[in-house]
Amino acid sequence: MGLLTSIRSSISKLFAASEPRRIGIYGPPNAGKTTLANRIARDWTGDAVGPESHVPHETRRARRKENVEIKRNGSSVNIDIVDTPGVTTKVDYTEFLEHDMAEDDAIRRSREATEGVAEAMHWLREDVDGVIYVLDATTDPFTQVNTMLIGIIESQDLPVLIFANKIDLEDASVQRIRNAFPQHETVPLSALEGDNMDEVYDKIAEYFG
Amino acid sequence: MPHQCTNCGRVFDDGSKEMLSGCPGCGGNTFQFHPEGTDVPSEPPDAEPPDPEGSGTANTVGRAATRVRDFVSTDDPVTPDSASGPPESPPGTPGRSDAPSTGDDAGTASASTTGPATDTGSNAGDTGPDPNTPWPSERDDGGEDLPTDEDGIIDADAREAARAPDTAGMETGGGSDATGTDNGGPLDGSAPDGPAPAAGSSSGSDASGAPNAPASEAPGEGRVASTPDEDQPDISELREQLNDQFESIKILEPGQYELNLMELYDREEYIIALQENGRYVIQVPEQWLGDQPGDA
Repeated sequence: MGLLTSIRSSISKLFAASEPRRIGIYGPPNAGKTTLANRIARDWTGDAVGPESHVPHETRRARRKENVEIKRNGSSVNIDIVDTPGVTTKVDYTEFLEHDMAEDDAIRRSREATEGVAEAMHWLREDVDGVIYVLDATTDPFTQVNTMLIGIIESQDLPVLIFANKIDLEDASVQRIRNAFPQHETVPLSALEGDNMDEVYDKIAEYFG
Repeated sequence: MPHQCTNCGRVFDDGSKEMLSGCPGCGGNTFQFHPEGTDVPSEPPDAEPPDPEGSGTANTVGRAATRVRDFVSTDDPVTPDSASGPPESPPGTPGRSDAPSTGDDAGTASASTTGPATDTGSNAGDTGPDPNTPWPSERDDGGEDLPTDEDGIIDADAREAARAPDTAGMETGGGSDATGTDNGGPLDGSAPDGPAPAAGSSSGSDASGAPNAPASEAPGEGRVASTPDEDQPDISELREQLNDQFESIKILEPGQYELNLMELYDREEYIIALQENGRYVIQVPEQWLGDQPGDA
């Protein structure tokens, strides 16, 4: 708690002047949130945000990359990127056992992931000015978690962009995501391959600038 | 001595437990309260006699006999076989609607007998024995009053009956308890002739309106008596639902969690560590705010 507090307080002091918007990257586990956060951070700051993995719940604590300056059309936008743990209603360590993980590690990972979801939900309430909602375009977007989170975001009147990630994969369907959330702008991309990142940054500047 | 049985006039001390299961003298279950300092009349008040036929044993027996007669007469056209088909009885629901207190399956097979049982009301759990006797087929086969497993409904009720004897025994032992006679009659053989046909046609009489008699006599005591049985499951269900609703993280077992996202979102405090023993470490908002007043 003390650590978090001091981090938060130093952040707020550091950026009190510029007041960058805090943009939370939300979405279900394994949608590519960290890959996207890393892509954005590398493109504009040269650093990464955190490790990426095929194993779900690789990100178990929210990670920030502060003061990412995105330049578009002669002007610049400052944002803090908050990469959050994948939000889900169930965490089961047996899921991790399939990824060659020892049971003890799997259980610990499961517990940390659960804490991470709790933290992510809390930050959504208190701590973000806008949301990038990342979905895996190869999976069905009509899930309870997606519907609930989008609903919460809407109720908060937060600006939200929906990113249809993984369009480099064959069975990706951007239209399915557009159909699921027609009230929001859906941007197709591949964070891993860097496909369509220009439009991504245009939209970020437009929505969160 | 403020409580007086309105049936036989027996008087009970305030707080007496005897009367909780009906008047031990006559089985009556209506009592009048006489506040301290008022005279307790030696005779029961005429204003609220539960039964016009008198009191005590005679009354109970008479009532039972009347019912038996009703059942027999109304069910003459109904053969035992057709009577054994409870599902046909929807028209009889008026009678049953007064007896739903006992609640369960007893309704179909023994609605009419349930009526009398509940009307005495002193122990709703005893409604079980009634369905045992009713079925004519068993009687005809020379079977005993005890239930067989052939019919699911009978059997179910019979099992209750098997459990009931404790209380029923107490009641009947107490004397000419109405409930005891009604329920126990068939079992103890005191009225072997009557109850058999009557009960046998019970489901039929259910449909044909015989329940009128019991229905008119069932002012609701039976309902009260059986309420606790029905409340129990409701409360536990409700509690379960509430738990489901209010728990933000349910630990199924170490490493397996169910999360209530709305709860997590709605809470001001948030969880920063889950302990192995199921405890949470939470961040309390007051501390949070206090540590960083400058945070926008």
